[in-house]
Amino acid sequence: MAQARFRALSVLVVVLPLALAALTCLVLPIYVIRPFRHQGATELSVALFVTRIAPAVSLACAIGAVAVLIFFWRRVQGWGVRTLAIFALLGAVASAWLTRINVYELMFHHLDRPEFTAADRAHVDSGDMVIAIRVNGERRAYPIREIAYHHVVNDRVGGVPVVATY
Amino acid sequence: MAGGLELTFHLAGINNQNFLMRDEQTGTYWQQISGRAVSGPLAGSQLELVYSDELTFGLWRNEAAAGMVLKPVIRDASQYAPSDWDVRMQKTPTVLDFPNTALRSRDLVLGIAAFDSARAYPVDRILREKLIEDRIGSEPIILVVGPDEKSIRVFHARLHPGDPAPEYYRSKPARGGADEPLYMDAASGSQWSFRGCAVAGKLTGACLEPIPAVKDYWFDWRNYHPATTVFRR
Repeated sequence: MAQARFRALSVLVVVLPLALAALTCLVLPIYVIRPFRHQGATELSVALFVTRIAPAVSLACAIGAVAVLIFFWRRVQGWGVRTLAIFALLGAVASAWLTRINVYELMFHHLDRPEFTAADRAHVDSGDMVIAIRVNGERRAYPIREIAYHHVVNDRVGGVPVVATY
Repeated sequence: MAGGLELTFHLAGINNQNFLMRDEQTGTYWQQISGRAVSGPLAGSQLELVYSDELTFGLWRNEAAAGMVLKPVIRDASQYAPSDWDVRMQKTPTVLDFPNTALRSRDLVLGIAAFDSARAYPVDRILREKLIEDRIGSEPIILVVGPDEKSIRVFHARLHPGDPAPEYYRSKPARGGADEPLYMDAASGSQWSFRGCAVAGKLTGACLEPIPAVKDYWFDWRNYHPATTVFRR
């Protein structure tokens, strides 16, 4: 009995930290980098670092958790321990998936292929503000009411790659 | 571009209400307001600023008849900013404040970083005065409001280094076009348009150098330019 319990816990000792690491990869950046919250320089630096490694780390943790539970599932005895193990696994797998999603572009859709129209055909009010550039003689206007939503427009103007931001 | 590499950017986060973007090619994070890479393989790199104007569409179209305009995305159009978005934004709380400074957090300023100095000009003051003469660092500049009474441009006030800085006066635009005389300089008596070019008088054809400026909230401008001064004359 005691041996069985020990064997079950030994599996959890591996799976739970893997799940925790994966969840940290997901939750820490979301917690730190969110609107209407002050970001300190150090915490932002840490959160951005975690964001950059999150897809790889969370995937490795999820794969590790899956592998451990597949190979050692028979050791995981008792409904309480099994429930905990399954929740940990689901957490790790969900994190591995969610760290690959750019939530900011879910809120503000990315412009994959920005399109443009001639000035005399544009349906923009005369009084609306635009951000205007001229590069190598080519002129471009980005209505602020549009770019304030998309935030980022990758473009090529006058042969030069530019990114218009607002 | 950075280091010869052409980058494609995505919205990727926020830092004290100024957004972060990430490039697809290296995964580096860049701060929008500064164009500086803050995290990742290219950290420390700096994107080159392209001079831009913030104008009314009507004035821009008058100047740039052959220009192209970003088209709206139909599926997203319902979420585009309403016409009074700037009024609504004024009521949005800030997460970073600088009490005991010259301005309030959501005061709108025109920020200029030039000649090794940074200076903030309250936008309502510029729009009220129509033409402001000032100095940044040791250089004279003029801030000019366009014939549409909303657009603002900034110019280096002298044509050549070492020239004495002339005094400028606001004229009344005849028809409000981009090439109508808008202001004149006392030294030569030349008339200048909103493009910053002399359209009449002794200096006809000469153009003043435009100075990049950004419309920003005081808290954000002050955050990235801690040594900034404020125009209060």
